Amino acid sequence: MSGPKWQAADDLFREFQALGRASLASDIQDSHSGNMAVRRTGADGRDEIVITATGSQKGDLEPSQICFLSATETDYGYYKASSETDIHARILALPGVRASMHAHLKDLVLATLDDAPKPEKPPDFVPVDPLARRILGPAIPVDWFAVPSGSPELTRTIPERLAGHPLTVIFGHGAMAKGRSLREAFYRLSVGNYAGAVVRNLQRIRVDVEAIRRAMAADPAGTLAAPPPDYEIEGDDRSDFREEEEILREFVKAGHRIFESRLSPFHTGSMSVRGVASMLYAPKASMPRDVGGPLLSVPLAAGPGDDAEISLHKAIYAASDFQSVMHCHVAEAEASAYFAYPGETTPADRIIPIDAEGSFLYLVIPVLPPRVTAAALIRALHDYKVAVVRGGGVWAVGAQSLSEVLHHPSSVREVCHYRIGAVERGLDLRRMEPAKAKRW
Amino acid sequence: MSDYPISGYFGRVLVVDLSLGEVRTEPLDPATALDYLGGRGLATRLLYDTIDPACEPLGPDNAFVIASSPLVGTSAPTAGRGHMVFKSPLTGVIGTSNSGGTWGAAFKAAGWDALVVTGAAASPVMIDIAPGRAEIRPADDLWGKTVHETNDLLAAASEPGRPARVLCIGPAGENLVRFAVVANDANRVYGRCGAGAVWGGKKLKAVRVRGREKIAVADKERFQSGLDQALYLIKQAPVTKRLMRDLGTAGLVELINLISMLPHRNFQDCTHRDEDVDRVSGETLAKTLLEKAGSCYLCPIGCQRHTRVAGRDGKEERGEGPEYETMVLMGPLCGIYDMAAITRANYRANELGLDTMSYGGTVACAMEMAGLGLIGPGETGGIDLSFGGAEALEALVGMTARREGIGAALAEGAYRLAAGRGRPDLAMTVKKLELPAYDPRASYTQALGYMTSPSGACHLRGGYAVSLAFFGGAKEIPRFSLLQSPIAIRNMQNLGILQDSLGVCRFTGYAFSADPWARMVSGVTGRDFSVARLEEIENRVAALERQFNVEAGATAADDALPDRFADSPIVVEGRERRVSRDDQERMKRDYYEVRGWDRDGRPTPGLLRALRIEESRR
Repeated sequence: MSGPKWQAADDLFREFQALGRASLASDIQDSHSGNMAVRRTGADGRDEIVITATGSQKGDLEPSQICFLSATETDYGYYKASSETDIHARILALPGVRASMHAHLKDLVLATLDDAPKPEKPPDFVPVDPLARRILGPAIPVDWFAVPSGSPELTRTIPERLAGHPLTVIFGHGAMAKGRSLREAFYRLSVGNYAGAVVRNLQRIRVDVEAIRRAMAADPAGTLAAPPPDYEIEGDDRSDFREEEEILREFVKAGHRIFESRLSPFHTGSMSVRGVASMLYAPKASMPRDVGGPLLSVPLAAGPGDDAEISLHKAIYAASDFQSVMHCHVAEAEASAYFAYPGETTPADRIIPIDAEGSFLYLVIPVLPPRVTAAALIRALHDYKVAVVRGGGVWAVGAQSLSEVLHHPSSVREVCHYRIGAVERGLDLRRMEPAKAKRW
Repeated sequence: MSDYPISGYFGRVLVVDLSLGEVRTEPLDPATALDYLGGRGLATRLLYDTIDPACEPLGPDNAFVIASSPLVGTSAPTAGRGHMVFKSPLTGVIGTSNSGGTWGAAFKAAGWDALVVTGAAASPVMIDIAPGRAEIRPADDLWGKTVHETNDLLAAASEPGRPARVLCIGPAGENLVRFAVVANDANRVYGRCGAGAVWGGKKLKAVRVRGREKIAVADKERFQSGLDQALYLIKQAPVTKRLMRDLGTAGLVELINLISMLPHRNFQDCTHRDEDVDRVSGETLAKTLLEKAGSCYLCPIGCQRHTRVAGRDGKEERGEGPEYETMVLMGPLCGIYDMAAITRANYRANELGLDTMSYGGTVACAMEMAGLGLIGPGETGGIDLSFGGAEALEALVGMTARREGIGAALAEGAYRLAAGRGRPDLAMTVKKLELPAYDPRASYTQALGYMTSPSGACHLRGGYAVSLAFFGGAKEIPRFSLLQSPIAIRNMQNLGILQDSLGVCRFTGYAFSADPWARMVSGVTGRDFSVARLEEIENRVAALERQFNVEAGATAADDALPDRFADSPIVVEGRERRVSRDDQERMKRDYYEVRGWDRDGRPTPGLLRALRIEESRR
């Protein structure tokens, strides 16, 4: 086999391994599906493509399953490389693109299935959550292919789609994403699947998704919370508080848990622990093992460069005694925030647990409108410790630690899971909800 | 029912001037009630308005205040506790102590929200309280009697159908032992800081209450929603559901040892043999001495230990305890692992009215001093004061309470004992209050709690970081974070202020924090006590306690651990741990900042204004 010999310490190999594992952990791959590719400048100064071998297990990549191809040659047929190599090569040739990734986004694929006769082009997918609308745009292309894998049609169409979009859907198969880095491509795929999960969950609880789409089209600012910050591809290794060993460990643990428990898509959400004048802040809270993200020490005082996300952390600390804050995008909660009881037209202002654990922890979980003021959110957090913002994710606070606050989005996901399942089965939530919660 | 504008209160403060022999009722200012809530908060405000914090603690210028809360008298779980504040004769700063049992609920049912006692009587007296009346009575016949004798005599004189509840001191209080307790229901105590000596200085032997007054709940539905959730959570959380009832607080012994925090030989180390720890564990207590568990007023948790033990004369004795703190501070801290001896010493301390925590800390200090030749054999009357001396532990209880022999020196507490012989560094105290049974080197958060507690080294007033660190699961607190400790401990302290101000038990904190209480107190009062508003009250009370201490002469230099904890490491999870002076200073500085105090630890005028803390009205 030609190409450089991979060493265990090689950063790029570790990145392939870690993201491969992460994609399996987030259930956007099958055992052998998907592929990843990166364009880089080789030792000889020429661009080359590094790509996973066809049929390799992305959860356990080995050095021999990484292939090196010339980016300038027309023959991409190296026998071990991915069957999608031609597509990747064309995507990687797009301006500014350094990485591409293909995955089987089950939730998004399911949300885009239709039974219309083909080859009619399926409609674009319109996300209704704040992440996908910001990161992937208001419409994600969906294309049907007679041969939906490695075909010339794909090789021609997918790069065209990705020239204008960060992510595109291959009908009934999966999605391709581009990025300035492999992490950004994975981030986009994760957000895409999340968008599918939100829509799927809305459908399960019989919410009129088209009505939400119409409302969002008519008034995007009024129906979604402040957008997430732009994705940064630099600085993931930065750690400003290495001397705080225990807190560092807490952040890393919490990051793993958010990602692995699907409390927020890869590198979304945020979490912080405050000190006296500064806070320790993770702007990419959902961090898989071996990937990580930046761990920053930032002043508590508001700064001119603060984005909406960090500003809200600071506002919560300024107006309360809380020590920790977490923001996650839980698909089940995002959907549940739109739930209206049968016979009612407006979504409920609370989520009432019907399961034992949820009832034990929460009488009710408040649902707040998308453009809720910081003051109103803080008030809800004082009273409930956790709140779901419709079109804005789950916010939670703790008095003592990150471990404490992590509990809330995790429990909210479970609470919503049972409620969604109950509605899907045709059960009457009103009869299942504790009377004391309905009174409150 | 009361016609006071805020439901849950009677609007009456009972004021007793022992110097003048006068009893009067004063109105409770509604604004004060809303700003300080009750219990610790209200009592602190009333004390600050009554005495000069620089007063002599054992003289007539000191006062004590006991306050109830709007939740006491409702069905809120554990809401029957009372809180007493005074200037401590042990520490010279605010003395603040809490007790369970039934006296607090009985006092509220007598129709008052607070009791303020000033002055001093010329001869022993007691105060008798019933709905609509209170009087001072001679108590010469009770003087010299033990806590249990006094309790039995006064309770026996109850009116039919209206049992009397008795709050009293024992001989230790009469003899002005600086860590004497005030006891209620025989074995429940206002334990820390020497309230018993304050009473002794006033020649006040007992306060008896009887009452059946009811309070109204303004918004029953709101109250009930908080109550439902609180009861549900108490029944679910492992500590409140089972551990406390099965093992009592002594169930902590083995757990605290597991995290290298169980002190040994006057905090020289935290090293014990496992078999020794087992001899003083909650499990062993449950298997050997426990007769039954018991509960305070309206408590579903039930941590009380009703025990029996063979006396030194072979006769069976019955009593209560030992609790965790007593077990460890009278036990391993003194190198003693003899549960029967600890239990007997606990019984004697309860009878005579001594704080078992300060007593254990003082004896451990004396044992180390004896080992260094600072207390000679001739001073102890033949008692061997070596570490591990269980006989000494038992014998010295009576000598201390009566100030006999070396007991007179022990009665002054560890700090004065050690400082008096030129070695204050041997006293494991903060602000002269003996440390609880958790080594601060094993948790910076707990260390900072001891340093900044308003009443000295108290785990309850300073913030009980250990409990959540070990049991909380989801509430884990990093033990060695300099960054997080100041806010973590501030929040722990504030939760404690809330619980003390509501008259509820600290152990509810194992099940839930402020939110159910906010609903219950809002329901009772009909006022909107959001969690944010409760936070403001907590911060107000903390600032007022600090202001009291500043006026009493305390400075930032008093917020420090004994040298041992900075100089001598212990091993925690394979690493040497100490709390260096630099780390103490950093945490202290940050803590002052989050409290809004200046660099010298004084609440700023701006903070006092923002929290509506007016100057003393005295």
